[in-house]
Amino acid sequence: MKFIALVSLFAAATLSSSTALALDADAAKALAKQNNCLKCHGIDKEKEGPSLKAIAQKYKGKAGAEDKLAKHITSGEMAKFSDGHEEEHKIVKTTPANDAGQVKNLVQWILAQ
Amino acid sequence: MSIGPDLAGMLRRCWQWLVRPSARFSVLALAGSGVVAGVLLVAAGYKANEYSLTTEFCISCHEMRDISYAEYKESIHYSNRSGIRVSCADCHEPHEFGPMIVRKLQASTEVWGSWTGVINTPEKFEARRMHMAEWEWARQKASGSRECRNCHNFDAMSPEKQKQSNYKRHVKAKDAGKTCIDCHKGIAHKLPKEYEEPDDEE
Repeated sequence: MKFIALVSLFAAATLSSSTALALDADAAKALAKQNNCLKCHGIDKEKEGPSLKAIAQKYKGKAGAEDKLAKHITSGEMAKFSDGHEEEHKIVKTTPANDAGQVKNLVQWILAQ
Repeated sequence: MSIGPDLAGMLRRCWQWLVRPSARFSVLALAGSGVVAGVLLVAAGYKANEYSLTTEFCISCHEMRDISYAEYKESIHYSNRSGIRVSCADCHEPHEFGPMIVRKLQASTEVWGSWTGVINTPEKFEARRMHMAEWEWARQKASGSRECRNCHNFDAMSPEKQKQSNYKRHVKAKDAGKTCIDCHKGIAHKLPKEYEEPDDEE
């Protein structure tokens, strides 16, 4: 009985911690729409920028991918366009401002495409 | 429901009193008081209209204050590098008198909505956000984004000052006969969760 209780407790703890860390796809997509990300990056269609699927394919599983993408969308660093010109990438705006958790969730969603 | 004989008689006497020529007041006094009353009425209407165009009036309803206004306060139309702020009415009310009155009459149904509690909780507001947004987008579309164009103008956009990609997109939109609202949705308030970006937009 004690063993079952311990197992249930462990299962519940694992489940709750994985839920807390789980990707919130709806929130990520809403943030992407609100910031007009999808105007330049289609989910699977290349627009002025590469599709989110292409970005995921390029960076998925690579060391430091999350940090690199987070920096790209929050620092205003230069983005290279297909016609060769460069301009500052739009800085993603969150509410409340500069919420690293929301940015991380967005990056994870992009990498999951 | 029929009017009783007492009420009918009273109404008739009132009417007779109103149409009977005055033996006491001069034509000047009567006409003058009419003019004064008219001016006061117009002035009161003007002030009431002016007040109803203020942000203070809009956020006197808690739905507006707690949701729409709170979202707008996070937007570029509230705070920006140029120090320009637009009010609720700048975007949601036509400036020209005729269309403004039409819009005011439409808005009176929104006041009724507030009284009857159609969106009096965040949950109810979210459930109707898409409906309300579509209504406002259609209104803006019908006027060719008239309220946006009170400040913004394709011809005033500088190819040097705008980002290259944005400028190119604006030129393309102008050539295609598009107006602001075709691409700029959810700029002062959150986009409804049901809204999907058109895939053909580039």
